[in-house]
Amino acid sequence: MFVTDVRPAPAAEALSNAAGVSPTRRRRRRVPIAPYLYVLPALILLGIWIYRPLVQTFQLSFYSWNLLPTQPLTPVGLQNYVSVVSSQQLRDALVNTGIYIAAFLVFSVVLPIAIALLSRQVGGRAKTAYQAIIFVPFLVTPVAAAAVWRWLLSDSGGAIPTVLGNFGIDIGDVLRSPSGAIWAIILIVGWQMLGFGVLVVSAGIAGINPDYAHAASIDGAGGWTILRRITLPLLSPTIVFLVLMTILLSAQWTYPMIDILTQGGPSDSTTNLYYLLYQIGFQNFDAGSAGAAGTLFFIAFSLLALGLVTLSDRLSFYDN
Amino acid sequence: MSRIEIVQLTQQFKGHRAVDAVDLVIEDGDFVVLLGPSGCGKTTLLRMIAGLLEPTQGRILIDGVDVTELPSKKRNLAMVFQSYALYPHLSVAKNLAFPLAVLRTPKAERVRRVHEVAASLGLENLLERKPRELSGGQRQRVAVGRALVRRPSAYLMDEPLSNLDAKLRTATRQELSELHAELSATFVYVTHDQVEAMTMATKIVVLDAGRIEQFGTPDEIYHRPASVFVAGFVGAPPMNLVVGTVGSIGGVVTATAEGIEARLWPGVAEKRTVVIGVRPEHLRLDDFAANAESTAGSASALSVEGVVERIENLGSEQVLYLRVGDTLMTARGDDFGALRRGDLLALSAPIERIHLFDEATGQRLEWVPEPDELPAAAAQVAVMA
Ligand SMILES: Nc1ncnc2c1ncn2[C@@H]1O[C@H](COP(=O)(O)OP(=O)(O)OP(=O)(O)O)[C@@H](O)[C@H]1O
Ligand SMILES: [Mg+2]
Repeated sequence: MFVTDVRPAPAAEALSNAAGVSPTRRRRRRVPIAPYLYVLPALILLGIWIYRPLVQTFQLSFYSWNLLPTQPLTPVGLQNYVSVVSSQQLRDALVNTGIYIAAFLVFSVVLPIAIALLSRQVGGRAKTAYQAIIFVPFLVTPVAAAAVWRWLLSDSGGAIPTVLGNFGIDIGDVLRSPSGAIWAIILIVGWQMLGFGVLVVSAGIAGINPDYAHAASIDGAGGWTILRRITLPLLSPTIVFLVLMTILLSAQWTYPMIDILTQGGPSDSTTNLYYLLYQIGFQNFDAGSAGAAGTLFFIAFSLLALGLVTLSDRLSFYDN
Repeated sequence: MSRIEIVQLTQQFKGHRAVDAVDLVIEDGDFVVLLGPSGCGKTTLLRMIAGLLEPTQGRILIDGVDVTELPSKKRNLAMVFQSYALYPHLSVAKNLAFPLAVLRTPKAERVRRVHEVAASLGLENLLERKPRELSGGQRQRVAVGRALVRRPSAYLMDEPLSNLDAKLRTATRQELSELHAELSATFVYVTHDQVEAMTMATKIVVLDAGRIEQFGTPDEIYHRPASVFVAGFVGAPPMNLVVGTVGSIGGVVTATAEGIEARLWPGVAEKRTVVIGVRPEHLRLDDFAANAESTAGSASALSVEGVVERIENLGSEQVLYLRVGDTLMTARGDDFGALRRGDLLALSAPIERIHLFDEATGQRLEWVPEPDELPAAAAQVAVMA
């Protein structure tokens, strides 16, 4: 007679079956509380300082109120939204914000990619010095930078108009020119953002295994093909991240420069969404309209961010 | 199809010479295996041939043309990286097609080649996957496939089969051997695996610490190792190597060590310290060898006496560990079954299986019999050139 081996049944399994309770279910009943306690302080602060004002902004957007605590809040329904959407100021600010974002994409994405790729040729210490020079402007506080640039651009003896004047170029008082002021602000903020962009792109490139480029070059690809078909695709998560940062934060980064150098003028030519928001709320004392505008911006930027985050997730290759 | 000539090639890293003045000629159609311990400079040498690493010194010629300064894309080579280097953002199919796409091969031809290569490596079902969705072995096969999709002048492969399971490795090994026979292309192949080296190579380069220890056919490497290093590195279990003395007794050259005695060739040799080498599979139980000696009178053989320490049964054969003096020697065979630990035992090996190396330099010593007229005076042990 043939006999086949019979594996002994695991004892533990038999036992727990007999008891009729699966061990996993018993464990699941007790939710560990400690981790939540650790994050609680942060959550409370976030709730008080970010989410409560957000909700209040949303509520305010349905009232008319001039920010005086003694004045009553008058419900006006959707009136604030109608007036914000139909205001010429908002349209100007929207167009300007678009111009700012487009221009900053050049300073924070396009130029940094070019600079980081070129600086790969620079080796050793020279590279560190070179990157430091580009990065330092990012560390200068906007107020200090604004002061310096105002002197540099001053039409009474500022360095830039003087030098350009020697070449026969007369830029006049740029910060007071309706067509020139926005470009001056773009240049100043861009100069600050460039270093940040270069830093992020350099880190992204350093994270790409050089073997990919090596393999491609053995496969017969030239520098341009490698850049287009290997390096840039592998860099795309970094690029999307920079685009996201630029779109979401450029209005904030520009705000101090606008406030110090032009106050949105001349004739609203340099204002942007955030500055407009500030003006409606704290210069016109129209809390309701400011709330409506704030709510609209919040929704628009959220949608943009959501789209870009999804895109960046799809572009991640988990290089290993 | 190409002949690769390497002249005095050197790579000096910070305070460390990874490749040291290597001279090597790889003939057209050769399958050259670079063999050596980890860190001996195999990858570094291969990367210099590929043009990924600029040599500190020396030249590389392909088909007589100096390519030392040529960028890798102009060298018309294909390479399998030790790290695979599969493009992470491209599917397997696109990875395989990449070298063809770069060369602007027509689409139809591209698809045909990709499917051909995928079929020969068993990758058909993986074509749409991204590298991160593959196992290590699958990635490695894609890396091999990406090299094979083209017809370059030479294939460079850096441990291309190291991550495959035994069965797949054997199959892929045979696949590559067949491909080599079919294309008669030049291969430079890095491996740790001696079986791969012995079975696939037409020539083997044994490297140690950036220097070539020996360059020769698998047979030469195995049966006439040029140095103690090669003797100890090639073969499993490795060759028995024992320090001893060469001398002569009564007109016969002898080699002796504790528990070892060999009567070698007629002649006279100066006394010198040597390393005596004999492979485990060439050591036999002594009785029939002793019989042969007494009956046929063939004098010369090496005999070893020691105490059995351990016997390992590998199924197809057994490995015997013998304590001889203060060294442990190994013997391979299938007839050690009756022996016990502690048994006193004599083993012997025929003269042509005995290797002698200079103790100081590690170089192989070759016996050159002198012309018969001067038997006593001039016989000497010559160092192999
Ligand atoms: N970029 C580098 N800088 C400094 N030293 C290096 C560099 N690359 C390799 N080395 C050193 O050079 C020696 C040879 O390295 P190599 O990678 O060629 O070894 P290998 O023979 O391929 O080893 P393995 O079999 O482990 O792959 C090693 O000692 C290594 O540490
Ligand atoms: Mg290596």
